[in-house]
Amino acid sequence: MALLMQLTHTHASRCGLRLKLFPHIRRTLIRRRSMAEDITRLDFLVIGGGSGGLAGARRAAELGAVTAVVECHKLGGTCVSKPLPHINLGSYFVHCPTAPPGHFIVSLCFINAPPVDSKIQTIQGDAKFTNNPEPTVEVNGKKYTAPHILIATGGRPSALSEEEVPGASLGITSDGFFELESLPKRSVVVGAGYIAVEMAGILSTLGSKTSLLIRQSGVLRNFDSYISTNCTKELQNSGIDLWKNSEVKSVKKTDSGLELAIATKDLEKKNDEEKISTIGQVDCLLWAIGRQPNTSGLNIGGIGLETDERGHIVVDEFQNTSRPGIYAVGDVCGKALLTPVAIAAGRKLAHRLFEGKKDSKLDYSCIPTVVFSHPPIGTVGLTEEEAIQTRGKENVKIYKTSFTPMYHAITSRKSQCIMKLVCVGKEEKVIGLHMQGLGCDEMLQGFAVAIKMGATKSDFDRTVAIHPTSSEEFVTMR
Amino acid sequence: MAALWKGRRRWKTNNYFKVLARSLTGKYEYDYDLVVIGGGSGGLACSKEAAQLGQKVAVLDYVEPSAKGTKWGLGGTCVNVGCIPKKLMHQAALLGTAVKDAKKYGWQIPETLSHDWGTMAGAVQNYVKSLNWGHRVQLNDKKVKYLNMKGSLVDENTVKAFTKAGKETTLTAKNIVIATGGRPKCPTNIPGVEHGITSDDVFWLKNSPGKTLVVGASYVGLECAGFLTGIGLDATIMVRSVALRGFDQQMSGLVTDYMEAYGTKFAWKCVPRRIDKLPSGALQVTWTDTQTDSQHQDTYDTVLWAVGRAPETKALGLDKLGVQLNKETGKIIVGADESTSVPNIYAFGDIGEGRPELTPTAIKAGRLLARRLAGQSTQLMNYDNVPTTVFTPLEYACVGLSEEEAERRHGKDGIEVYHAFYKPLEFTVAERDASQCYLKVVCESSGNQKIVGLHFTGPNAGEVTQGFALGFQCGATYSDLLNTVGIHPTCAEEMTKVHITKRSGLDPTVTGC
Repeated sequence: MALLMQLTHTHASRCGLRLKLFPHIRRTLIRRRSMAEDITRLDFLVIGGGSGGLAGARRAAELGAVTAVVECHKLGGTCVSKPLPHINLGSYFVHCPTAPPGHFIVSLCFINAPPVDSKIQTIQGDAKFTNNPEPTVEVNGKKYTAPHILIATGGRPSALSEEEVPGASLGITSDGFFELESLPKRSVVVGAGYIAVEMAGILSTLGSKTSLLIRQSGVLRNFDSYISTNCTKELQNSGIDLWKNSEVKSVKKTDSGLELAIATKDLEKKNDEEKISTIGQVDCLLWAIGRQPNTSGLNIGGIGLETDERGHIVVDEFQNTSRPGIYAVGDVCGKALLTPVAIAAGRKLAHRLFEGKKDSKLDYSCIPTVVFSHPPIGTVGLTEEEAIQTRGKENVKIYKTSFTPMYHAITSRKSQCIMKLVCVGKEEKVIGLHMQGLGCDEMLQGFAVAIKMGATKSDFDRTVAIHPTSSEEFVTMR
Repeated sequence: MAALWKGRRRWKTNNYFKVLARSLTGKYEYDYDLVVIGGGSGGLACSKEAAQLGQKVAVLDYVEPSAKGTKWGLGGTCVNVGCIPKKLMHQAALLGTAVKDAKKYGWQIPETLSHDWGTMAGAVQNYVKSLNWGHRVQLNDKKVKYLNMKGSLVDENTVKAFTKAGKETTLTAKNIVIATGGRPKCPTNIPGVEHGITSDDVFWLKNSPGKTLVVGASYVGLECAGFLTGIGLDATIMVRSVALRGFDQQMSGLVTDYMEAYGTKFAWKCVPRRIDKLPSGALQVTWTDTQTDSQHQDTYDTVLWAVGRAPETKALGLDKLGVQLNKETGKIIVGADESTSVPNIYAFGDIGEGRPELTPTAIKAGRLLARRLAGQSTQLMNYDNVPTTVFTPLEYACVGLSEEEAERRHGKDGIEVYHAFYKPLEFTVAERDASQCYLKVVCESSGNQKIVGLHFTGPNAGEVTQGFALGFQCGATYSDLLNTVGIHPTCAEEMTKVHITKRSGLDPTVTGC
């Protein structure tokens, strides 16, 4: 037995060899203790029980790896317990404030929790890399190691410090938004990304007088300009008080609510002159100014992991970090911050590590995404600007259309549907598709399949339309 | 009167000289390059495309009033008594459900909700009329001559047209296109059949149809009964044999199961025998339950016949010219290029034998035909891989083969069916039953598992399926679906996650990411 333990310890990093030599031992022993120190040895240790971590862990366990997931909060991560499902619900309605707030979240957590009889061990607590020679993680005083460790700790909303904006902590972030017990009468949302757009839309539609403060002149600046311009317009049309070229300078608490001092640049004057205004009686200030990776406390600096200037863990196309045996997926990597991306990357990694599929990796091109604005936005592939930059203006052909969806045939309220195809080359391969309008959230998925397959404009034209829908406009564009 | 006679004589003389000139010189001078009979989806698309290509075009459109006297303007079935009003009324019904759901989402909604037919019908009818006008303006802009006249063929280059008042015009054309579409059929052997209405009438009713019996379980019948139930009316569907004949029958079952749970009543395997109008104005329907051979009776305010559609060929004079028709269906037999048995006469759209009765195929076929006739193209219409959506309360969209058809063609072992029952996120808080929200992908079991059929029931099925139909057109395989990152959270993403096969026998219910 001692010899056996010595053998397993020595060959710890060669998981495959161990699997081959002692499969029957592995099936009976879930944990093996090292000789020198009490370190639990696993095949796969996942730090972070969110979308990416759980997906990777589950797939690895299915493939026979002895797996544990470390999670310091609730299983499910950001997607389940914070924004995503609620954003979609909130597009038209909102999680009923009078029902027990955690009610619906609890059932989803239960769905996402590994089944009780699975081989995945869940470890509750904060993880931190130790100074042991082999990558080792400590949680609540216990140590764990594995030849493969996955960091999937996700991200959290960025916040401004009190030095940057006095009174900033009087505001909340998207995390706090879902804990609101009642609808704020007066809201101010700061930010121009999709989270700011979605939050402002929900608050405004439910009846809160809402202002949206953006530093430049349009929202969603990284999206195709057709979408950015249209979305900015739709926000204003819906009654949201949009402040362009504006920043919050300070936040003060008064008897009647928060008072915000706002500096607005006048772009017509070429100087840096700013006009200072005030918004008072604010009962909800929501910072949606970006997200940052959850790596503090992990001690990744101590184990020499490379990070970018914003603290995201740098990985290659196979999710390898700069340290062999340590990987990262999901929001903590800072690329394509989406649940399905994290899930797909986690699963591909599990197949590479535990099924010998050496080339298993996620293709990060043509990832479709939806913004649950009013109306929703769908986008996949390159923007027109990106296409022109990478392929040259002469190689890019654009098809565009805009129309009023039939839903509005007899409503007095109207919204537009806009659509754009970005095509390149003689064969007009479609490398970008962008749209905003009713139904665009459900429309995009099928087009994403086809675009990933390399569909051309003539493939679009050859497809018969489904009538009457809005999506048919894509296959009848001239 | 004398002037009129003079006019007629002058016209006759003109025509004589034209014919004479034609035969003497051998050079044909027609009034038009193209005359299109039928101003519906297909006819309008064809005539506008031809005009854009520089052809001299005339389009004739005439609506024979229904038995109940309903008539409408330019645009054909789709605009006036089909797709458009149907979808708007379906939308009205969905909004009723959404308002009820809204309560669970925190909106303070009154306990009882009621619907006013007049408001909906008035708004829908006004919108349709605006489309009629829009089409007329478009024809004018594109320089297509529009004649609100009933056309019939004299010879392969001549059409005679009549106004409602009987005024006659003759047009000659190099090519003639027939796109007269179809009209609803009524049963022939049921006493009191004349008391019923059809889909030609239901969208133009000024007053609510009230308690309605829909006879027929084609998509027309199901869609009508669906929105009538949705706006709060008592609706029953009488089904002779199966619902959605020709569609995948498992999917058809899910659609009708949902409708039953939704409140629509079904009289399965029943056939109506007679309809009697009572002194109150209500209709007493007697029918036979063919399973038990028993007779039943009930009273309805409206009976809606949805037992099929017949081609509009009666008044065309086709037999005179020898244009071949299918004996069974009465539709015009057409070639791959929409040609008929008579040169220079073409037919497409609902009137063509074996063609899908869908607006988009008619529009596309019409445009391609116009291009070929103008000598600008040789491209034929591809009638394969046509996607479609049934706008029942739970919508059903599909492209490709039904599972039964796929099995017939490839054998049971030749196909692999991936399927999933999913729950739209929006149903959760609303506490709605999602038992019939389902999708299946029918693939070839060998090789790279090419997709041969794709089926989806759920909200926004039409919007979900268009893009997948494009993928299908590009030859998508099962792994193409899996390799596409899903969009979260949506219903459509379930198509990229489907992984349980029917063959495995495992539970296909989706349980979280």
